Amino acid sequence: MRLTFGDTRLLALAAGAIAVGVVLFLNASRKQRKRKKLPYKDESDTVYVVQIPRGKKVPSPSPFPIKLETYLRIAKIPYENVFARKFSSKGKIPWIRHRGKDVPDSQFAIEYLNEQFNVDLEAHLTKEERAMSRAFLKMVEENLYWALACYRFIHDDVRKADYPSVIPTWALLLFGRRIKKYAWGQGMGRHSVEEIFHITKLDFEAISDYLGDKKFLFGDKPCVADCAVFGMLVQVVFNQTYSPHNALIKSEFPNLERFCWTMRNAFWPDWDQILAA
Amino acid sequence: MGLRGSKPTFDDSSNVVYFIQIPLRGLRVPNLSPFPLKLETYLRMAKIPHESIMISTLSSKGKTPWIRHRGKDVADSQFCIEYLNKQFGVNLNEHLTKEQQAVSRAILKMVEENLYWVLVCYRWFFCDPKDLGLAQSFPWLIYAFIRRRVRGFANGQGMGRHSPEEIFQIGKLDFKALSDYLGEKKFLFGDQPSETDCSAFGMLAQFVFSNIESPHCALIKKEFPNLERYCHTMRNTFWPDWDQVLKGDASSTKL
Repeated sequence: MRLTFGDTRLLALAAGAIAVGVVLFLNASRKQRKRKKLPYKDESDTVYVVQIPRGKKVPSPSPFPIKLETYLRIAKIPYENVFARKFSSKGKIPWIRHRGKDVPDSQFAIEYLNEQFNVDLEAHLTKEERAMSRAFLKMVEENLYWALACYRFIHDDVRKADYPSVIPTWALLLFGRRIKKYAWGQGMGRHSVEEIFHITKLDFEAISDYLGDKKFLFGDKPCVADCAVFGMLVQVVFNQTYSPHNALIKSEFPNLERFCWTMRNAFWPDWDQILAA
Repeated sequence: MGLRGSKPTFDDSSNVVYFIQIPLRGLRVPNLSPFPLKLETYLRMAKIPHESIMISTLSSKGKTPWIRHRGKDVADSQFCIEYLNKQFGVNLNEHLTKEQQAVSRAILKMVEENLYWVLVCYRWFFCDPKDLGLAQSFPWLIYAFIRRRVRGFANGQGMGRHSPEEIFQIGKLDFKALSDYLGEKKFLFGDQPSETDCSAFGMLAQFVFSNIESPHCALIKKEFPNLERYCHTMRNTFWPDWDQVLKGDASSTKL
């Protein structure tokens, strides 16, 4: 039987589809086997926080694990870190596991834990302050985050940032390419380097002006927005100390650095001990 | 409707601001995109002479709206506002305290970088296309093509990874924050409107006036009625010609 060009192409497509199917199946099985190996005790009340390993200068090169862990420490919720490069069902990290339930996304995790442990870090705030707290949380996580991510992954050499040594350089560079694509879709990536720096400066100014001389954003007691702001500013104040953002904070918004030290001293007294050697 | 439309001719010697917005005239809102509505509300609030041009030419950043003034093209609604503030000596936030200006920025970013994606996900993934409330028909092929791109954008930004219920909950918390902060006030920061009111109105108008069949509109009517009241206040104050604009009778405004 003589094969036509069409037949050959069809066979190649079928072979390719089968190969892809086999690879996906094997990968899913491998992930399934790996999940079973994680050290969860689902009968206990311990919250397992799955995050990437510690850095040498900061507990995490990502703002979200620091936000989540700071919240857990403030709320005095018993937790255990699971340092692993295992992404959540939403393809992100950190995520938590509690009594057999996986909760991805740091903010959903906090809302879940508030319910489970009857915690409300914003109980002392007025209705307007709660509203402002949400606004600052979103500004930091949905705007400032992208500005700083563009700097770290696109404008500057990501290898200068403090990442755990278990994450290879090629993975960082690959992630950087993905961030570039995501940032373009989100919008921030369409701006110039100077424009993004300007946007960052305006966000810093807003946080600094609102914080003023206060200990935390809304007075003497911290709330979730403080955790988010801390997680983000830590990357500038303690991680990328060589960045123009760090110089900007030191020269124009010193109360932001003071805030970071206040949060660190209050809720991370073991900061130096837990960092990677 | 191509996305790389023709370039109109501008009189670069005049002081008129040419305000270019994509032709997404709605049945119930002047533009289905919140950003042209934000920018045009700002131009009206600041009383800056402008001429609205509805064509499909996107900005240098591939977005809408953009402006041209004295031969200079400026992309991105917020950069446009900053440019125009300088050019025309305008400061709609002058009456705000330092803390209020800080809160103003935070609310602006919550609305434009968070609530915006709730709107996008609802419109492109969960809403029936016929409920979009578009004044002219959208070729299905272009709709499907854009929808695929938006899916990629939303996943990259993050909102697209959540379930419909989670996205709705995120939107609800944003509405609650806006409603709680607004309270009984006429505008966000009192009796005088400010820059962020333009953005909040541009976004809320999409839910309150455009997507009237949406669960978000029902939620606002039931739990956050002051947001609906606020939209009417903004509309009556800065868009007395709203109905004419929708009909296309007042498509350009020269002051």
